[in-house]
Amino acid sequence: MSDQAREAQLRRAGWRLMASTVRPQRTWVILGVGAGAVWTSAKIVIPAFAGAAIDDGITPGDGGVILKYVVLILLVGLVQAGGTALRRYSAFRISYRAETDLRQRLFAHLQRLHFAFHDQAQTGQLMARANSDIQQVNQVVIMLPLTISNIIILLGTVAVMMLKSVALALLALGTLPLLGYFATRFSHRIAPVSLALQQELGDLSGVVEESVAGVRVVKGFGAERRQEARLTIEADSVLDRALVAAKMRSNFLPLVDFLPAIALVAILWYGGHLVLDNKLQIGDLLQFNAYILMLIWPLRLTGMLVAQSARSAAAAGRIFEILETDTAVVDPPHPKPLPPTGHGELRFESVRFGYSSGKPVLDGFDLTVQGGEAVAIVGSTGSGKTTVARLLPRFYDVTDGRVLVDGVDVREVALHDLRRSIGIVFEDTFLFSDTVSANIAFAVPDAPLEAVRAAARLAGADEFVVDLPDKYDTVIGEQGYSLSGGQRQRIAIARAVLADPRVLILDDATSSVDPTKEHEIRAALQQVMQDRTTLIIAHRAATIALADRVVLLDAGHIVAEGTHHELLENSEMYRQILAQGTTDPGASTEPERTRP
Amino acid sequence: MRPAKGGTVSAPWGSIFLDEALSRDEAERVLKRLWRMLRPWRLRIFISALLIVGQTACVLAGPALVGHGIDDGLKVNNPDKLNLYASLYLGVAVFALVMGRLSIRAVARIGETFLRELRVRVFRHLLSLGMEFFEREKTGRLVARLTSDVEAMQELVQTGLTMFIQNILVFVGALIAIFLTSWQLALFTLVVVPPVYVASRWFRRASNRAYLDVRERIGTNLATLQEGLAGVRVVQAFGRERAFTRRFNETNEAQYDANIKTARIATRYFPVVEYSGVLGIAIIIGVGGWLVDAGTIKIGVVLSFVLYLNSLFEPVQQLSQLYNTLQSAGAALHKLFDLLDTKPSIAERSGAIDLPPVGALEVDEVSFGYAHGPDVLHSVSLTVAAGERIALVGPTGAGKSTLAKLVTRFYDPRSGVVRFGGTDLRDATIQSLRERIVVVPQEGYLFAGTIRENVRVGRPEATDAEVDAALEALGVRERFSLLPEGLETEVRERGSRLSAGERQLVSLARAALADPALLVLDEATSNLDPGTEQAVERALEALTAQRSVVVVAHRLSTAARADRIAVIDHGNLAEVGTHDELLRQEGRYASLWASWTAAQSVRAS
Ligand SMILES: Nc1ncnc2c1ncn2[C@@H]1O[C@H](COP(=O)(O)OP(=O)(O)O)[C@@H](O)[C@H]1O
Ligand SMILES: Nc1ncnc2c1ncn2[C@@H]1O[C@H](COP(=O)(O)OP(=O)(O)O)[C@@H](O)[C@H]1O
Ligand SMILES: [Mg+2]
Repeated sequence: MSDQAREAQLRRAGWRLMASTVRPQRTWVILGVGAGAVWTSAKIVIPAFAGAAIDDGITPGDGGVILKYVVLILLVGLVQAGGTALRRYSAFRISYRAETDLRQRLFAHLQRLHFAFHDQAQTGQLMARANSDIQQVNQVVIMLPLTISNIIILLGTVAVMMLKSVALALLALGTLPLLGYFATRFSHRIAPVSLALQQELGDLSGVVEESVAGVRVVKGFGAERRQEARLTIEADSVLDRALVAAKMRSNFLPLVDFLPAIALVAILWYGGHLVLDNKLQIGDLLQFNAYILMLIWPLRLTGMLVAQSARSAAAAGRIFEILETDTAVVDPPHPKPLPPTGHGELRFESVRFGYSSGKPVLDGFDLTVQGGEAVAIVGSTGSGKTTVARLLPRFYDVTDGRVLVDGVDVREVALHDLRRSIGIVFEDTFLFSDTVSANIAFAVPDAPLEAVRAAARLAGADEFVVDLPDKYDTVIGEQGYSLSGGQRQRIAIARAVLADPRVLILDDATSSVDPTKEHEIRAALQQVMQDRTTLIIAHRAATIALADRVVLLDAGHIVAEGTHHELLENSEMYRQILAQGTTDPGASTEPERTRP
Repeated sequence: MRPAKGGTVSAPWGSIFLDEALSRDEAERVLKRLWRMLRPWRLRIFISALLIVGQTACVLAGPALVGHGIDDGLKVNNPDKLNLYASLYLGVAVFALVMGRLSIRAVARIGETFLRELRVRVFRHLLSLGMEFFEREKTGRLVARLTSDVEAMQELVQTGLTMFIQNILVFVGALIAIFLTSWQLALFTLVVVPPVYVASRWFRRASNRAYLDVRERIGTNLATLQEGLAGVRVVQAFGRERAFTRRFNETNEAQYDANIKTARIATRYFPVVEYSGVLGIAIIIGVGGWLVDAGTIKIGVVLSFVLYLNSLFEPVQQLSQLYNTLQSAGAALHKLFDLLDTKPSIAERSGAIDLPPVGALEVDEVSFGYAHGPDVLHSVSLTVAAGERIALVGPTGAGKSTLAKLVTRFYDPRSGVVRFGGTDLRDATIQSLRERIVVVPQEGYLFAGTIRENVRVGRPEATDAEVDAALEALGVRERFSLLPEGLETEVRERGSRLSAGERQLVSLARAALADPALLVLDEATSNLDPGTEQAVERALEALTAQRSVVVVAHRLSTAARADRIAVIDHGNLAEVGTHDELLRQEGRYASLWASWTAAQSVRAS
């Protein structure tokens, strides 16, 4: 599909999305439209009363008539005030509700989308969808009721004008189709530009984000100039796009004032000559004039709405694009339960898997882990260890082959059940900006503090947590107290332990733990691993030795297995990966030489 | 940075919105400074202001011309006058069209180029600030400076400013017009001003407060959103999608509630203003009728008052609505100025000199503590000879990374001196400092872009061949070339396309490319398998034969390969010496080593 066709399609989808978001607010839309109509009518009636008061009261000097109209004006004024209150409130209410609902929908969907989607997506862009794009949508929704009542008034006025003088009405209204034409053209042209502008703004914030988050690298390598150059490029493209958009606005917006003015000129000139030829009353001319003046504001609003609606539809289209993305990893239609008595037996059967773009990472991967067994996966950097771990909780689905937990294919189990029975400690530790206890109790939020502490003790975290300013209530994460890498890893281990899973996966979970703690962590892990199946990915012999069995991963499948010592003896590759036993004439302090 | 005026600091954006309301004083200072900053644009601003005034005048002139056409043309049967006024109107309309077009372009050019300058300037300043600034400020807040704060001004630039000027013009014009027409009736009409004034004052205060609340809730909501995205993998891993969606629902609905509160305030205010307008018409009719009766004014005056009244009230309403836009733009500028006023703690001294190409590193009686905290390093002295390789070991929190940060001048010591090749780092040019001394942090932080671009961060002017050579020298080029797109593979945000170890390899390749005199590796190899780690270290050693290396390591096998080992404990240099010397001393290192080797040889139970 061509880009343009896709864009048009997305815009249409955007309109549908906006409609479906506003639909639940029907009642308020009707109220708002009604209030808008009442309000506008009152605004028309009051000057008419004023005119009547001048003609029938002030001119003949009739105090009673004047008083009557003053009272009438004040009464209709009350209606106008009520109308404006209701129309404003309903407009706000509709748009805020729509905004909130749409954002909620988007968030819920993003939470469900599969890992591969999040691998590709940029946080900055997703944030822009949920924030500035939704605000764009909002701008149209908030004008909706008033615009509908404006259109009603417009049609009414047109009818009245037609009744008075068809020729003059046509002349006066002749510019309207032109306005419509320009508005449509404008909206078509500005949509891609505003899309591009939004994109550039997203890229710009991406550069800022990475420079701030990666400031250690920026400063460490003196890369300030490089980042500044990148930002300047982005800022320049934002400038370019913004100027193009401004140029388009400048071609359109003044027309919104100009075209009605042309109508006024036409009425004055043509109508004036009609009056001079005695074919029209001067009062009628004044009235036409008044009508056009009255139409200017609704027309201008409608013009603005048209201009905005193009941006909004594009924004809604971008949101739709995410909402229409289906989760690749879904619950099976008829989920099977995991056998309640299972001990977490794992089986990988000729598994083949590759990430979307690349060649297979795993190919012919076979592994069986008995329930309660602990198996260590060892392999060189990038050999696919983490990938193996990711297939078990179905973060990705295998391309070929099967993964079974307690004899059931993971694709046949309800996702929630599957994931709750597997606890994983990621190699990149992510902690939420919340208290220590909330982080540890992430999977079981109502866990009593005792259970939290018990898990922390098992993970070797309790000892440093009690030294924190507010102990278990200390807020950590990006907004809180900064912990060292090793401390973060221990909190993450506690989090997985508290979930009490059947299967525990430790992906390089001790890489930042310092050697003085090595011993304690070892003892703790040993306890944690009791009574459950454990997959350990590690590079340290001390951690690997916790496993009953070690498998060596290379070229996408297992090339050797045995105990740590068996592999040390038998596998050259294993020794090489662990940097043990290789002859190394250069280094005088090679650990092996000092080993007892 | 000005501290927030209280309130919760639960969200990265939360706290910055608390100090939104500027006092009159602050607003004045912000405006003055803005005007100073706008110096290069002043002529253009003046011209655009003229254009806007001209355009507004043209738009306003229209109805008057119609009136004249009717009075002087139609009523007295003068077709020439009619034609004249009709063509005048046409001319004025065309003029308004042209000026409208020009003014939109001119204002956009001023505003957008100004914002571009501001972005670049603030960003440049931001990067010049010291590490302690970045450790104090949260990423989200700093990003917000260059995004939402600058964008808060964008709205003003696009439509707000022009509307602001136009409305003031219309208001003042209408005011002058009614007084010129009949000052008596004008005075009576102004009776409606006090209620409008009181209501507007209430509205401004109430909406300001409600608006601050909205901004804060938005901040909290955005923080939840961002965390939900950043942590989505953890959320899914523990099957907490629903709970997290509920949590978002709470902050999202809180934002809705705050928004609805502002809607309620507007719902109360605008009926009062509109009714005051109606009251004005009633007064004009009643009092005007009386004045006509008394012969003070003519009927036509009453008619034109009714018409003008609208021009008085429309702008008041528009301006009330614009007020929030102005307010938030002012607050945003204020925050940006604050940032620009923050002095870089690590600045180049005047008369700074380049560091020598090679030399020894001397840490001389250095003490250091973060911010106002206690010392975390106590009078540490350590010398690393040119070409020497030294390992820092010690428990977490001992101060190893802190020492690494001082050696690279991320911070300056509280007392003592760090010298390279005999020159105090504080006397060195920043440029030469960053070239000679390079630190590779633990998280292999990658920027969005290709592998090649990421390696090139080490030396921006390096050619492709040099980048490839650096990768080759580390022995990792083949590994990356095997990827489908080879070295041109996009690593994606934070390098999520690569495995954790591969990210560390890329960041090590940067160091190889930079080829510094002193290389500091702060746990830069923790995610590598020991085999790769050893190979990489050897490669680095070979590359840096004449260079010094300081390596912070958690694997003692890594430390053991260094020329000397320094044990840091509680901010003190506890022991220093070669592996064998330290083992013989039977001190801290020896016992660490014993338990390490014991752990290595444990038989699985
Ligand atoms: N999200 C991803 N998208 C595409 N490729 C990936 C992704 N994650 C890892 N890879 C690639 O898959 C291979 C295996 O990675 P991984 O399983 O993380 O290795 P290990 O954990 O053994 O270091 C690597 O070559 C890596 O580049
Ligand atoms: N940015 C910081 N602000 C305040 N205190 C810090 C900061 N970074 C580290 N510290 C403190 O300084 C001490 C030394 O930390 P660090 O140098 O990171 O130790 P190590 O690298 O040996 O683990 C610790 O007590 C730590 O809490
Ligand atoms: Mg891995």
